[in-house]
Amino acid sequence: MSFAQPARVPLPPPDAEVNIICCEYCPVACGYKAYTWPVGKDGGPAASDNALGTDFPTPLLSGRWPSQNMHNVITRNGRPHNVIVIPDADIQAVNLGGTHSIRGGSIAQKFYNPNSPTADRYQTPMLRVQGDLIPISWDMATDLVARLSTHTIDNYGELAWGMKIYSYQFYENVFAGSKLALGKIATPNYSPHHAPAEGDDVPGLSDTGIDAFGSAFVDDKEADVILISGSDPYETKTVRFTTWQQPGGAKLIYVDPRKTFTAAYAVKHGGIHLQLNPGTDVALYNAMVREIITQGWEDKDFIASYVASRPELDGETQWRRLMFGRSFDEIREYIFSREQFTLQGAEQITGVPAKLIRDAAALLTGGSGARPKSMILFEKGLYWSHNYENTAAIGNLGVLLGASGQPGRATGRMGGHQRGGQKAASYPMEKSPDSYEGNPVEMDTERWLVQGNTRFRWVVGTNWVGAMGASQALAAKVRQLTSVGPTVTSTNVDIAYEQLKARIDEGGLVVVHQEIYPNDSTKYADLILAAGAWGEENYTRNNAERRLRIYEKISDRPGQAIPDWKIFATVGQRMGFDGFDWDDTNAIFEEAGPKSAGGRRDFSALVEYAQERGLRAHDVLREFGTTGIQTPIVRDGDDLVGTERLHADMKWKTNSGKANFVFPDWDAVAERNAKIGPVGDEVWVLNGRINAVWNNLFDFARRQLATQRWPMNFLEVNPEDASRWRIESGDLLSIESDNVLDQLGNKTTGSFTAVAYVADTVPPGVTFTYFLFPGSPANSVTSGDSSLQPINLRYNFKLGKGRVTKIGTTDLVGKMSFIPRNLV
Amino acid sequence: MTRREFLLVGAAGGAVAAVGVIIPLTRSSTGDSTFVGPDGSTTTTGTLAPPAALVRLFPKLRVASVGDLGTDDPIKFEYPLQGQHNVLVKLGTQVAAGVGPDSDIVAFSSLCTHMGCLVENYQPEYRALGPCPCHFSTFDLSANGQASLGQATENLPQVLLSVEGDDIYATGVVRLIYGHANSLQGAPMVEI
Repeated sequence: MSFAQPARVPLPPPDAEVNIICCEYCPVACGYKAYTWPVGKDGGPAASDNALGTDFPTPLLSGRWPSQNMHNVITRNGRPHNVIVIPDADIQAVNLGGTHSIRGGSIAQKFYNPNSPTADRYQTPMLRVQGDLIPISWDMATDLVARLSTHTIDNYGELAWGMKIYSYQFYENVFAGSKLALGKIATPNYSPHHAPAEGDDVPGLSDTGIDAFGSAFVDDKEADVILISGSDPYETKTVRFTTWQQPGGAKLIYVDPRKTFTAAYAVKHGGIHLQLNPGTDVALYNAMVREIITQGWEDKDFIASYVASRPELDGETQWRRLMFGRSFDEIREYIFSREQFTLQGAEQITGVPAKLIRDAAALLTGGSGARPKSMILFEKGLYWSHNYENTAAIGNLGVLLGASGQPGRATGRMGGHQRGGQKAASYPMEKSPDSYEGNPVEMDTERWLVQGNTRFRWVVGTNWVGAMGASQALAAKVRQLTSVGPTVTSTNVDIAYEQLKARIDEGGLVVVHQEIYPNDSTKYADLILAAGAWGEENYTRNNAERRLRIYEKISDRPGQAIPDWKIFATVGQRMGFDGFDWDDTNAIFEEAGPKSAGGRRDFSALVEYAQERGLRAHDVLREFGTTGIQTPIVRDGDDLVGTERLHADMKWKTNSGKANFVFPDWDAVAERNAKIGPVGDEVWVLNGRINAVWNNLFDFARRQLATQRWPMNFLEVNPEDASRWRIESGDLLSIESDNVLDQLGNKTTGSFTAVAYVADTVPPGVTFTYFLFPGSPANSVTSGDSSLQPINLRYNFKLGKGRVTKIGTTDLVGKMSFIPRNLV
Repeated sequence: MTRREFLLVGAAGGAVAAVGVIIPLTRSSTGDSTFVGPDGSTTTTGTLAPPAALVRLFPKLRVASVGDLGTDDPIKFEYPLQGQHNVLVKLGTQVAAGVGPDSDIVAFSSLCTHMGCLVENYQPEYRALGPCPCHFSTFDLSANGQASLGQATENLPQVLLSVEGDDIYATGVVRLIYGHANSLQGAPMVEI
């Protein structure tokens, strides 16, 4: 006999409480059930003795096995409870059969548990006094925020007051925050976590009239061919791949400079990997459009019936579409006028062999055979490279294929995160200081701040500085602005107020950070507002296919943490605004309902339905379980009916109701590449997401499963480059550039370190790293100059560059896997 | 690797009986750890009740001979219960938890910790099991059975091995085996 005791996981007893919730990470948003029961009252392995209703051991693919990482111990109603958070094997959508990713499958570890690495959750508001964060009361914290906000607005105007906030969070929190910032204060100095400015992230596609969000997962299964650009679905939208794309059997055309898992999968299963040079997407798609038209493979019926003519385009009222909208004849004329878009010309630019471009065009269209059902999906690798032009070029391909509104035919985003961005008020565009050729665009709030114009910034739920381009230059400026004037020396509210007010008056910046954990930006905060999180309140959110579900409260919040909506409401009331007297999140959801009317996230019918019956809208939504209902929701007699497919009425979001082509300007791209691309001995330093972690690792840096896999940030290096630079997997690398453009367009420096991961996932001359690893500011080598993309002020996030040098070794070989991540 | 797993893996090297280290073995339902000493006594940290199941102990099963093992030539065996499939392999390179004269022999459960499919395809070039035929998780046997890429929420459970003369014995399993609420409950023991 051995000494070893067997590993075990406690099972919920038959009377365990059950809540429904979805994973909070990727946009797929798998449905889960949370079973909670008092510690010490475990169930047993017989089906009759546990709430899972299954005999243990469970068979393969049962979807009913709770791994140890699906278990945690939480405080619920003040008492210790076990919790199992397990994929819902009975769900009728999304993660059929209870499948899951590594991220959601371990989400039980997210809960606050003082015996786990989550012990460093913020539990009280804090004030930075003499450089250190010191706990204060909520009364004092909200008083300071309200008084400093009022002082800033009264003396320097609302443009001096800024909010940097998640765009994706739960409906109730986004609504409450935007009600304060956009509705009451009415500042244009408001921007999302991922960009310097508000506004459309995929404007080129939007200008075709196609709604970017989001095609239904059933269409992935219906499709015969799916072109996927700039996003590895297996890694980062896992269940969409494993449950919908892979079983559907569509041939994949995978477009990415990296040979990722899905690239290898595509090639193995009759698809194509178009391994283009970074920043050359427009040339590739324009060449595909040209080849399709040359061969006569375009969807002629669709174009004849549903694509706008020049007179119809002239009737548009939106300036971008007026400026860049094109008819079929016009787009053909542009694309055929350029040698760059011949197969050979494109091969020279993109590095993709002409034959593969032609093969892809044939696969997408069926060539001279029957027309397949084709889909076009993309994400940040595409639109954070060159924003307007890339989304225009891929949108054109979708229109040419008629890939919209029909089963198995769609064009759109795969999604970066879930969707809860129902704002309470529209953006005050008329106040924005930025414009493009006389047309208003949402302001670059980072440039504005660097110029010293923002005196007060409220950061909500994001690693603000690390998430922006030229992040080290931005950090240096923030350090400088927050060092102006007196240091806060007292926890006396009036003394602290006067000292922070003096900073504002002397041209400095006060930073308030509303967060759940410390991150790379909270070091600049004067005030910390300790927020609640997922599973600690009843919330609602959509996934990437517009599926609306409730996320129920499961656990108590740690310490004195308060949910975001309540922080906004308290400050709003202290500032003297009305409309912040909500009792709970259901009240906010019901208020948000009418605001959602007419859009893709329209849940107004659900709210009306509930109110007519004297029910709570959250309770009505709960009846839809983890399967939820797809917005827009419509009434059908006494029923609420979801919308499976967008544009099914064969109408698009233009004045004419028709789709159109958009000018895919290669010259603008080529000029920009020359400004931001590698020079001298630099190489491309691309960045993005990977399978086992999420965003800035706010949870995953505190999850053993993830920290074993990724103890530090990595840099993928091609074996040829590795040989040239004399590095091996496990070496410690310095990545640096002195040629980065900052927020003002000036040259600055950027640098970070990472462990070498030598693999053929990247070609020579191209490296890849994680975009937001704590302590590894990869965005320091990406441009922070949004003026390079003046149409809507976005960063070229995915086109970083730098020199790579070995500076030592790590102790990670043997602890962290270095084998290729593209084995199929 | 956590301290808990390090100690367990250390035990796989054969040191446990000699030095009598205290081995934390399971995370109890309170999130605390249960410690089992060489004398079989148990200690649970924290103030709440220890886990209920402290009944069955792992059997000691002879699974292979050092002399018969070829590098990269995996052996399959069931352990500790019938139906609990494992792969033992001589990796050809020393690893932290390896046993044998070259410290390169390891064994892992081949029931994928994602959804239980058998992941038995060993790739010598990478010293990896996988990709799993169901959802493509690939596990690195030279790095504690962690998924180099994949959806499993646990590393592959590692079989504790000891070498006595030419004989390799399985003596326990670290981490929960797929499908089970307790790695030692729900099926008959393998025959010794």
